[in-house]
Amino acid sequence: MAEPLTLALPKGRLMEDALGFLARAGYATPVNGDGGRKLILDGADGRLRFVMVKPADVPIFVEYGAADVGIAGLDVVREAERDVYEPLRLPFGYCRLVVAGRRDRPDLPLRLERSPRVATKFPRLTEAFFRKRGVAAELIVMAGSVELAPLVGLADLIVDLVQTGATLRENGLVELRTILESQALLIANRASYRLRAGDVRALIDGLANAAREA
Amino acid sequence: MTDRNRFTDRPLPEGVRDLLFADTAAFRAMTAALQATWSAWGYREISLPTFEYADTLATDVGATVDAEMYRFFDRHGRTLALRPDMTIPTARVVGTRLYDQPMPLRVAYVGSVFRYEPPRAGRQHEFTQAGVELIGAAGALADAESVALAVAALQAVGLPEFSITVGHIGFFRGLLAALNLPERAAHQLRVAVDRKAEAELARLLVENPSLPPLARNAVLTLPRLTGDGRILAEAEAICLNTTMMRALSDLRAVAELLTAYGVAEHVTYDLAEVRDLDYYTGITFEGFAPGLGFNLISGGRYDELIGHFGPPLAAVGWALTLDRVLLARELQGVVYAEPRVDVLLAAQNCARCLAWAARARNLGLKVETDPLGLTPEALWQAAQARGIPRAVYHTDAHLLHVQDRSGTHTLAADDWQEVASWLNR
Repeated sequence: MAEPLTLALPKGRLMEDALGFLARAGYATPVNGDGGRKLILDGADGRLRFVMVKPADVPIFVEYGAADVGIAGLDVVREAERDVYEPLRLPFGYCRLVVAGRRDRPDLPLRLERSPRVATKFPRLTEAFFRKRGVAAELIVMAGSVELAPLVGLADLIVDLVQTGATLRENGLVELRTILESQALLIANRASYRLRAGDVRALIDGLANAAREA
Repeated sequence: MTDRNRFTDRPLPEGVRDLLFADTAAFRAMTAALQATWSAWGYREISLPTFEYADTLATDVGATVDAEMYRFFDRHGRTLALRPDMTIPTARVVGTRLYDQPMPLRVAYVGSVFRYEPPRAGRQHEFTQAGVELIGAAGALADAESVALAVAALQAVGLPEFSITVGHIGFFRGLLAALNLPERAAHQLRVAVDRKAEAELARLLVENPSLPPLARNAVLTLPRLTGDGRILAEAEAICLNTTMMRALSDLRAVAELLTAYGVAEHVTYDLAEVRDLDYYTGITFEGFAPGLGFNLISGGRYDELIGHFGPPLAAVGWALTLDRVLLARELQGVVYAEPRVDVLLAAQNCARCLAWAARARNLGLKVETDPLGLTPEALWQAAQARGIPRAVYHTDAHLLHVQDRSGTHTLAADDWQEVASWLNR
């Protein structure tokens, strides 16, 4: 039996759907991520080995080849700017990366902002978005609860992920622009794509079939 | 061991590193193996300057490398740059100085190159490249020589497992020409192919409904054209024009020659490889090793570069990153054993010891003398601490005392037969 293909799975939001699609593609998957304590799990059929990582770390694991493949949100992949292949889009994890501000913000185009303070967990994408419009934004990079920043005067705007927009609304914020439409992605290491070509291709095709049937 | 970091006010700048003894010895050994290999294929080494005028190095090919160059000024205010690779300086030398020499020219080099890029997989801003260029020869035989020599080089540096993926830039160029997409869509296509993003390719087709069925099929099949030699046969079905067909037949000819070279087991093919589209003009290739997620060697045909500096000349070549080869070897369990010293010799107040040491060195032994005047006991301890297998001291003109792991014995000062048996290699 060949070595299993190592797959980096994002803990949290995308995990359940990811495991569901892998199961439908015919791969043995760990049950409920085993309660979330073990970080490396082997599929019972020996075809996949799962490493459980923080979503934002999936591209790094894959770029370095610590995982041959991985499942991550497009938002995370674009923010990470890692050199990986993206063979497949998966039909879950839909969300948008948006610019949002307080509902009572003056109705001013973003390009006319002087140098807004922008709170975000996505500094690279945020910087690029404002630079493109000629605006020198002052980034406030946060680890969580970005919506809080405009409410307490820490930031003028935020750039954050929304699914339904309910959290924004509850906090008196409105969406101003969409930066990126995101969904789950299968990514692959450049070396593994070659050295494990058969296994990677089987996974791509299996998941693509499962996605079509979904 | 204590870690008294008393010198924190002398940090290294970002992007450079020291190589200590074992790593330096491993680099030297790999370099020697490479030199023996390419010299057996008729390649001759040149030495290139570390910096040149920035606009010499920043030709209009390779925009990424341009953005990554270390630039500085000379005292007249002209902009200089550290070489970001060795191929461009080599092309300059050939284009300006060697263009009328008998062709083909086989050129090799090894040295540091400098790039502002995030350190990844053993590669800092300064890293060591070794490579070859075959200049003044077009065609499959020259292409195959370059790939086969890449395989020979990776074998020579002691890498057990690796694979080289060969593509041909003409295949994608031909596809682009056949599709005749608007510039924006063509760019999107290139990005999608570069990322092997199959869903994006499908979406591009939806956005460009006027493409004929054959072209649509070609776009969707492209990312699957990666694998062993069989994909070259599959690729025939999606050729849309003579450019694609010519690229494919070039590649098939190369594949046949690689089989003749006996290196086919190390080679796979990928027709969807579009890196450095503006730089390469024919075959392209990249080498990978298990466990290291990054390429360790890359190359291809670049028939337009030398023309920037002189008469146009066909050229094909590759460069490997020694720092990554070292890492890849370690990942595969290859440990480089640094040659050890054979003898620690007491030499205080002992002129004849120095003569003995000279003669032992002539036999090929590595002999370290003790400059501190250690006692016999301390001498043996010092030897052990440094991994030297034996300590030797004289008590009179005719007798040596040898201490090793099995104890102490005496040896006639003129018994060179036993001394020769201490040679560890």
